[in-house]
Amino acid sequence: MSDTVQTGKPLLEVRDLCVAYGAIEAVRSVSFTVQAGQIVSLIGSNGAGKTTTLRTISGLLRPRSGQILFEGRPIHTQPAHAILGMGVAHCPEGRRLFPKMTVEENLLLGAYTRKDEGIAEDVERVYDLFPVLGERRGNKAGLFSGGEQQMLAIGRAMMSRPRLLMLDEPSMGLSPIMTQRIFDTIRDLQRLGTTVLLVEQNALAALAQSDYAHVVDLGRTTIEGTGHDLLADQRVRDAYLGEN
Amino acid sequence: MSEVSTAGRTGLFRPLSTAGAVATVLGALLPWATFVFNEGPYPAKATLQFFDAPFALSGFRLHLMLFGLAALVVGFTRLPGRGRVLRALGWGVLAVSAVNTVFLISNGGGFGAVSASDGAFAFGCYVGLAGGALLVADNWHASAEPLPRWKFSLPLWAAWLVLLVSFGAVLLLVAATLTAGGLGGAADPYAGPVFLSFLGAAGGLLGGLHGTGLLSWIGELSEKHRLFSVLVLLLCALGLPLTSAGNEYWMTVAANIGVYAATAIGLNIVVGLAGLLDLGYVAFMGIGAFVAANLSGAAASALGIHVPFLLAAVIAAVIAGIFGVIVGSPTLRVRGDYLAIVTLAFGEIFRRAAQNNIGGLTGGANAIPNIPQVELFGLEFNNPVTIGGLQLPGGVLYYFLIVLLVALTMVAFGNLKNSRIGRAWIAIREDEDVARAMGIRTGKAKILAFLTGATLAGLAGAVFAHKTATVSYESFQFLESVTLLAAVILGGMGTIPGAVLGAALLFVLPEKLREFSDYRLLLFGLALVLIMRFRPQGLVPDRHRRAELVAEDVELPAAPKEATA
Repeated sequence: MSDTVQTGKPLLEVRDLCVAYGAIEAVRSVSFTVQAGQIVSLIGSNGAGKTTTLRTISGLLRPRSGQILFEGRPIHTQPAHAILGMGVAHCPEGRRLFPKMTVEENLLLGAYTRKDEGIAEDVERVYDLFPVLGERRGNKAGLFSGGEQQMLAIGRAMMSRPRLLMLDEPSMGLSPIMTQRIFDTIRDLQRLGTTVLLVEQNALAALAQSDYAHVVDLGRTTIEGTGHDLLADQRVRDAYLGEN
Repeated sequence: MSEVSTAGRTGLFRPLSTAGAVATVLGALLPWATFVFNEGPYPAKATLQFFDAPFALSGFRLHLMLFGLAALVVGFTRLPGRGRVLRALGWGVLAVSAVNTVFLISNGGGFGAVSASDGAFAFGCYVGLAGGALLVADNWHASAEPLPRWKFSLPLWAAWLVLLVSFGAVLLLVAATLTAGGLGGAADPYAGPVFLSFLGAAGGLLGGLHGTGLLSWIGELSEKHRLFSVLVLLLCALGLPLTSAGNEYWMTVAANIGVYAATAIGLNIVVGLAGLLDLGYVAFMGIGAFVAANLSGAAASALGIHVPFLLAAVIAAVIAGIFGVIVGSPTLRVRGDYLAIVTLAFGEIFRRAAQNNIGGLTGGANAIPNIPQVELFGLEFNNPVTIGGLQLPGGVLYYFLIVLLVALTMVAFGNLKNSRIGRAWIAIREDEDVARAMGIRTGKAKILAFLTGATLAGLAGAVFAHKTATVSYESFQFLESVTLLAAVILGGMGTIPGAVLGAALLFVLPEKLREFSDYRLLLFGLALVLIMRFRPQGLVPDRHRRAELVAEDVELPAAPKEATA
């Protein structure tokens, strides 16, 4: 894992990103790259600017300065639907399903930008991945447990056939077993060819699963390294892994 | 109380309910008023009789008698959902008794009219109220009983027959509701209470039928045979002129309801599907009406040209749609409350502009009168028509036109709701941020919602202009927008029958309750508060909202699966 090449042309490159809500700068200087085929994590404490970074990449927010390149092309000036169309899917924090819609309707909305014939096939693929969703495809999404909802949120994001899947706090509020289940799924998705950018407060779980990781602190990227390296890094252990 | 109902559910005899039923029957037979009112006996002498002519019962006393007998019979059976039926009948009895009691007291100058006066006694109302109260109280906890589900399946011909009969019954009920109490106003001073009393009875009847599970079953049946149901429903709507409502007056009332129903369906797209609160929606109908008026060749119109009706209607719809886009554009920037203010302002700007005759197109305070009637295929729409020996009243062609208009908007709404853009609208309503993350171009979708809604309203406005023959800014005030919004919410957001039912109720009530016009808004507001408190999902709820608001229904989707397995 640690021998992953960091040179080649990255899938996603964020350069010196600065994002502000009015006068408040949530992200001051975030820079990182994501190589194709990897699982890359952004870890950091609450309010560090991780979610804002993801929302800016997916086009829901506009940066004040800095650049976001996807496959070498700048996307930070593009509207959200165009970025999704290029292959960047965003699975938002707190899952944010459409609770009153059925599982199937949620999945179809995930494929909203697509007009090809393969949508029904992809719905079935999600059901294969998460049989519990397939069994209850006609039920309202709001009736599912937290873990099942997270599965549906990931499935919904996968419906746009993304090359880069961005997951915001997928383990939030889940039991350790369900967290493990979700991370196993993320691994499976990577194996099937999806690059994953993960934002997590659960640093231990995230680092263990990541090829590469960046620490975001007070709106800046600070420490970086492979998941293993950061797990061993004393500063990371002190600040984020609850050791003293 | 719960012990009583538990005991009652197992035992066959329910003393309190039976007592209520007997009291209701007695109340129907007892006199209700002690003297004949100045405007004439209320209603039709029935109130003064005392046992001497039990078979001459009419009006509300006949309803009470039937309800009482029904409650008596149901009370001694093991009918599934018996408690629900008895409770609904009780509410019906209570409503009928209350309406008539209040009216007799207020119109008769005090309690003397309903107690004792000049040696005459009349206690019918007290006995009736007590009967209704007993029935309701004894079955207060009936909601704990499961709603019976009818599961047997029918051969195709039988299912069609059931649907045919059901929709026929709905047609007769609609006709009876429309005509209940007569024309109202000076022609019939008792129209208001008679109508309200009938409404109470109709509500009790429908509630009772619902309690047996019959209505849900018919609903499922019509879902299964959708196309057939839609066709029968359309036929029934076209059949209204053949019923007791088949004269020019009721055709006009029904046509007006239809215009507002079509407009309400349009508003339902904006509010019910896309979740954009529009408080100035009637302006789009106004724009359509003024455009059609100006193209009609009416003497007062500024343009003085006469365009055939169908073309004028299309132009009206297009121009209203353009204004929809113009008003919709700010929605890209504002949300929620602020959007409501923007649309409110637009509605006011339109009204003021029309009042001040902007561009000479609206006639200002003089309005645009004498808009010629629609002429299509050589038919003049105000005239009565004879189809093979069948004499249909004047205005019937407008009614047909509007039924077609409502059907058209229904088809448009139904198709949009289940389409890609419909899903996008619902997604925006539920969570706009996530909708954007799903790649929905929310700005475009919102403008499209405004465009569609405004186009439908413009179309309805064009028909409205010709139907009423006069277009004045006064028809498009804030109150109309609010009433339309109330119709959508009252009926059930995001559903077609809801919008039609809501519009029908809200525009027929003022027609019927003219003598209460001073209190109309007060009553109207009160009714809305009560409905929102006790039935927040609307009269005909959308399945999404039903799941959200009624906890006991949430698990239902799984139930039929187990039953069939």
